[in-house]
Amino acid sequence: MSDNPYQHDRGNKDRSLGNPDGMGTMDTTKKSGPTSQTSGEPFLIGANMTGGYGRGGPDILHDCTIAVEKGEIAVIVGPNGAGKSTAMKATFGMLNLREGHVTLDGVDITNLTPQDRVGKGMGFVPQTSNIFTSMSVEENLEMGAFIRTDDFSETMEQVYDLFPILREKRNQPAGELSGGQRQQVAVGRALMTQPKVLLLDEPTAGVSPIVMDELFDRIIEVARSGISILMVEQNAKQALEIADKGYVLVQGANAHTGTGKSLMADPEVRASFLGG
Amino acid sequence: MDFLNALVALTNFVLIPAMTYGSQLALGALGVTLVYGILRFSNFAHGDTMAFGTMSVIIFTWLFQSMGISLHPLPTALIAIPFGIAVTALLMLGTDRVVYRFYRAQKAKPVIVVMVSLGVMFIYNGLTRFILGADEQRFMDGERFIMRARDFKEMTGLREGLAFKTTQGLTIITAVIVVIALFWFLNKTRTGKSMRAFSDNEDLALLSGINPERVVMVTWLIVAALVTIAGTLYGLDKSYKPFTYFQLLLPIFAAAIVGGLGSPVGAIAGGFVIAFSEVAVTYAWKKVVTYALPEGLAPSSLLQFMATEYKFAVSFMILVIVLLIKPTGIFKGKAV
Repeated sequence: MSDNPYQHDRGNKDRSLGNPDGMGTMDTTKKSGPTSQTSGEPFLIGANMTGGYGRGGPDILHDCTIAVEKGEIAVIVGPNGAGKSTAMKATFGMLNLREGHVTLDGVDITNLTPQDRVGKGMGFVPQTSNIFTSMSVEENLEMGAFIRTDDFSETMEQVYDLFPILREKRNQPAGELSGGQRQQVAVGRALMTQPKVLLLDEPTAGVSPIVMDELFDRIIEVARSGISILMVEQNAKQALEIADKGYVLVQGANAHTGTGKSLMADPEVRASFLGG
Repeated sequence: MDFLNALVALTNFVLIPAMTYGSQLALGALGVTLVYGILRFSNFAHGDTMAFGTMSVIIFTWLFQSMGISLHPLPTALIAIPFGIAVTALLMLGTDRVVYRFYRAQKAKPVIVVMVSLGVMFIYNGLTRFILGADEQRFMDGERFIMRARDFKEMTGLREGLAFKTTQGLTIITAVIVVIALFWFLNKTRTGKSMRAFSDNEDLALLSGINPERVVMVTWLIVAALVTIAGTLYGLDKSYKPFTYFQLLLPIFAAAIVGGLGSPVGAIAGGFVIAFSEVAVTYAWKKVVTYALPEGLAPSSLLQFMATEYKFAVSFMILVIVLLIKPTGIFKGKAV
C-alpha cells in the first residue's frame, strides 16, 4: 500500500465511477532531463544502480550493474524477489535511481523518461499486460511503430516473417490469442520501433515447453540481426544456454556474473539456482 | 381503424422527438464515455461543460446577429459553433492544466478524480451563471420548420399533421455526421488509434512511444467539440437554461451506462434507448391508440404512464434495471 492518500480507494468497487483497467503506473507528466556523452562503456549499461519504486519507497536494488554488448544476449537470473525485473526496469527508467547511471550507445540517458528512451532505441516487453487486448494484431504492431514517421510496412513484413502465425491472425483482436501467440505479438510490437536494444521480461512465462523452445529460437534470430537483448528469465538453465552473458542477482545485488557457459559450469550457481 | 393516421401521429409525437432527443443524448454520452475510457473517470462536470459551451455559442450568435451575419434559413448558431468549441476547448485544457494534471501526476484513483470533477462542476456552474445568468435564453433564428403540420395535412389529405422542425432535422443530420467522423477518427487515424491504445493499456502505450499528455489533450479537445455541439443542438431544439443542462447529466450518464461505459457504439445505442423510453413513457397514447383500434374500443383515459415532470424517473429506472441485470451494458463496456 502506498503512502500517497490520492491512491487510497479501499472498499470502492463501483466501476461506474472510474475505469481502473489498464491504468498506468508511471508518472506521465514528468519531463526528461539532459543527456550527456560518455565513452568506453558497453553498448547498454545500468551501472551501480541503487533505488526503488515511488518517491519514498525502500531500495530494491543495491549497487547493481547490468550490461549488454551490441548483438549479444544478456540474461538476468536469480531467485524470486531478487529484483531481476526491477533491475531491467531500472535501465528503462521506470524507477527512481538514487545512485548509478544508465548509458546507451555512448549517451548517458539516466535522466530520460521511459517514452524518450524508446525514441533513443530501446524496446521493452513487460511480463504481463504486454499487448493491447482490444486492438487487432496489426493495430498492435502499428502502435509499436508509433514513433516512426517513415514507412514501416517493411518492418511489419519482417515481424510477420519472424512470427508467421501473426500474419494469419492479423485482423483478430490480440486479446483472443493464446499465451504463446500473445508473447509473439508483444515481442513483435517492440520490434516495430527497430530498437537497438530489446528488453524482455520473462518472455516465456506461462507458455508451454514447445512454444518456449520456439520463442528462444526466435530470440536468438533477433539477436543475430544485430539487436542486443537483455532478458529476465525463470527458466535459468535454458536461458543461460543461449546467453552470451549472465547475471545472477540476489537481493537486488550482483551475486555472480560471467558468460552463460561459465555460470552453468560454476558449481555454486548450479547448486543454488539451477537445481544441481 | 385508421393505421395511416396512427402512424403519422406516432411519428409526429414519438418517433421524431425521440430521434432528436436521442441524438442529443448520444452526443453527450459519447463525451462521457470517451472521458471514462481514456481519462478513466466519470466526469460529473459534463452537464455544466455543456452549459458553458452552449453559452459561448449563444454569445457568439448574438455577436454575429448584431453584425448582421446570418445563415438564413439555417440558424446563425451554426456559424457560432466552431468559435464556441474553441472557447470551451480553452477552458477544458486550462482546467486540465491546473486541476486534473496534478491528480494524474499523483496517479490518483478514479474515485478521487470523480470527486474532483464534482468540484469542477460547481466552478463551471458558477462561471456560466456569472457570465450569462441563470435565466432561459432563446437564440434560435432562421426558418422554424422544414415541414409544417398544416402543409402536411393539405399535401396528404390526412387528418393528422406531421411537423418536422428545422432544429430536429439539424440535430439528426449533425449527430450522424459527428458520429461518423468520430468513429473514423478513432479507428482509422494514427492519433485515434493511439487514444484507443492508451485506453487499453496506459503503460504499454507509454512504452510504444505514445505521448500520454498529447492523448489527454486530444481527448479534451474532442470532448469540448462534442459537448458544445450537443448543448447547442439541445438549446436550439428546446431552450437554453443552465439548470436544465445540469439535469441532463442523469439521462446522459444513464445512456452511457446502459450502452456500456467506455464503448462509443454503446453510448449511441444507450442514448436512443433512454430517449425512446422517456418519450414513450411520458407520451399520452390515447390519440394513436384510438386510431389504431377498431371504433368503439377507443380508450377513455389518456394512456399516459407517467407525467412529463417525472421523465427523469425513467432514466433512473432503466439505470437501476441495467445495473441489476447487465451491469456491463448492452455493448459490453468496462463498468461492472
